[in-house]
Amino acid sequence: MNRLPVFSLLLAAALPAICVAADPVVTDSRLITEERRVQILEAKLASLQREVLLIEDRKAIERLQQLWGHYVSEGMAAEAATLFAATPVASIEYAQQGVYLGRARIESFLRASGARVRPGELRETPVMQAVITVAPDGLTAKARWRSLVMGGLHGQDGRWEEGPYENEYVKEAGNWKISRLHWYTTVNGSYDKGWHQLSFPAAGPLAELPPDLPPSVRYQSFPSFFLPPYHYFNPVTGQPVAWDNPQPGVAP
Amino acid sequence: MNSWNRLALCCLLSGTGFAPLTTALAQAPAAAAAAAPAPPAGPPRAPDMTPRLARAADRVAAIDAQASRIEDYDALRNLQHIYGYYYDEALWDQIVDLFADDATLEVGLHGVYAGKSSIQRYFLGLTGGKVGLVRGQLNNQLQLSPVITLSPDGMRAQARWRVFIQDGEFNKGANWGAAVYENEYVKQDGHWKIARLHLYMRFYAPYESGWTRTTAVLNERYGKSTAKADRPPSVRYATWPERFTAPMHFGADSSDRYRLAPENAARAPAPPENAPRTAAALEAQVRALELKLRRLHAVDEVENLESAYGYYADMSMQDATSALFAENATLEILGRGVFLGRDRVYEYMRRLGAPTDGRLFTHMQLQPVITISPDGNSASIRARLFEMFGVKGTQAQWAEGVYENRFVLDQGVWKYITLNGYQTFYTNYEQGWGKHSVPLMTYFPGYPPDLPHSIEYEPYPAVFVPPFHYRNPVSGR
Repeated sequence: MNRLPVFSLLLAAALPAICVAADPVVTDSRLITEERRVQILEAKLASLQREVLLIEDRKAIERLQQLWGHYVSEGMAAEAATLFAATPVASIEYAQQGVYLGRARIESFLRASGARVRPGELRETPVMQAVITVAPDGLTAKARWRSLVMGGLHGQDGRWEEGPYENEYVKEAGNWKISRLHWYTTVNGSYDKGWHQLSFPAAGPLAELPPDLPPSVRYQSFPSFFLPPYHYFNPVTGQPVAWDNPQPGVAP
Repeated sequence: MNSWNRLALCCLLSGTGFAPLTTALAQAPAAAAAAAPAPPAGPPRAPDMTPRLARAADRVAAIDAQASRIEDYDALRNLQHIYGYYYDEALWDQIVDLFADDATLEVGLHGVYAGKSSIQRYFLGLTGGKVGLVRGQLNNQLQLSPVITLSPDGMRAQARWRVFIQDGEFNKGANWGAAVYENEYVKQDGHWKIARLHLYMRFYAPYESGWTRTTAVLNERYGKSTAKADRPPSVRYATWPERFTAPMHFGADSSDRYRLAPENAARAPAPPENAPRTAAALEAQVRALELKLRRLHAVDEVENLESAYGYYADMSMQDATSALFAENATLEILGRGVFLGRDRVYEYMRRLGAPTDGRLFTHMQLQPVITISPDGNSASIRARLFEMFGVKGTQAQWAEGVYENRFVLDQGVWKYITLNGYQTFYTNYEQGWGKHSVPLMTYFPGYPPDLPHSIEYEPYPAVFVPPFHYRNPVSGR
């Protein structure tokens, strides 16, 4: 009958000291032996080892996604394609251009359009505002980001393009790779007139390089209103989010 | 919160697997006090714990090495972001402190400034020899898209950034610009400092005509100081629309390097003098390590929260936005006054209206400087707000400002405790900040705040430096 309370006390004696920095170390060799204490600390170290890897994973994912931003800003299609996983088959989806599967097709897409930077073209694509969620097993992750793109051909009208990414990642042989990159167009506006006077639809499928799959979600960019779904629940309530007055045409 | 709740929470968070025992634990002191047996006549001979303690200490050292690399990563990101906020305000005395004594600076094709005093002359030569902006000047330089690479020994680092520039002088002109930094950093006396700052100019164009009509001559206006350079440019290149990629400090295979900690750091044995001789000594090391990880994790949580706020604000999601606040939180935005408590925050958010077709309300949250309290239970952020508004066919606006927000760990969940949004400029798209800037926005009609706004200020074109929650990371000023 005594076993549970005594065992509990053993833990109780050691754990508050481990967990709560402000509390004094409890030492009572009648109740907890040195060996038992070391055993508890070894278990704690195993969990800290997992934690530090998860925090490191987040930084690795940030770095990976930022490499993407620099490569596409410079029109470096081959380098950008190396950021994608080989297995499982990675995908890329831009605006309404459809889905391309596998590294080779991703690279072809990046050379064909979307991220291609032609001579005299600007495509400044900083990657910003991370919400990164690493799975507890540290093998997959998802993240929301956004880019505000300064685009256009020299001598012509420029473009302001803005929209979020909802991307997925996988740890492949110990290295993080992009398994799914999905960029949504929120607005694609004229520099000269402003987006309120002249905006363009999200880019559609390429005639010269048809996608492997149609767009995974159909939507229209500004002036239409569309909410690209969040991969995460509200970080405080842990609940999915909804509007007071959901708008027609918006995905639930 | 009492210590038992903290214990339960802590175990849940840290995933030690003890969580199911917490109910029993909560009852344990009373039960055990009654049930504790008298000590046995003689405890069994204790085994020699020295080898196990030494192995555990090595493990502490290995995890600590990994954690320190992450700490360095966060510190470097903060450093460049802090540099950016000082740059915005031409706080050259503060900015010079961020450089190592033998640092170099190179902006565009204006040559190399070598050593701290040369760097100081460079900065002062941007603003007529004075620290700080004068009325009418805007000097924003947005620090974006870091790729940070630490050296194996953790004493040096390199980083690439993308930069957006928005500057000008009221009633004279405004400019957009874009650039890339390839910088080097060095750790001296425990502080990261800038060892080499190199800004590669892409374009710098008048607001009216935009980047697609820029020229080399226009581009080269940026960052030109009256102080003379010590050396000619280290790299000659042509700015956009010519094609030039600033050299990248990382190779094409760098995506494979996912570890911030090199393998040898992860295997570093503990220095023998740190080897604990008792379980109590080991416990002290483990507790210190646990707090270090908790504070590192907090950085990520706070960044996610600030980003999530922006994404909800984009979509006018009042419920979701106000749910991010603690019950007793306060909110103060522009000159709309102070709103006390989450219910009032919700009412404030409702005034922003529901999302509809034909409206754009983009709330970008950029350039975070995140500071976690020593105990890991509260945090502060400085972040940049950059907004695109639009009403189809009617109006478009740019807006820019600075947040200084605070967060608390409440029942294991990070929440906003204060949000303070300072207005720098709101301008209509046609005119831009060179010609138009909205005065400080005041109370919502029919919805007065609980308190008037806490700081009297005038936004751009006046000069206002929103207070910093942090001191200079190098000098402590």
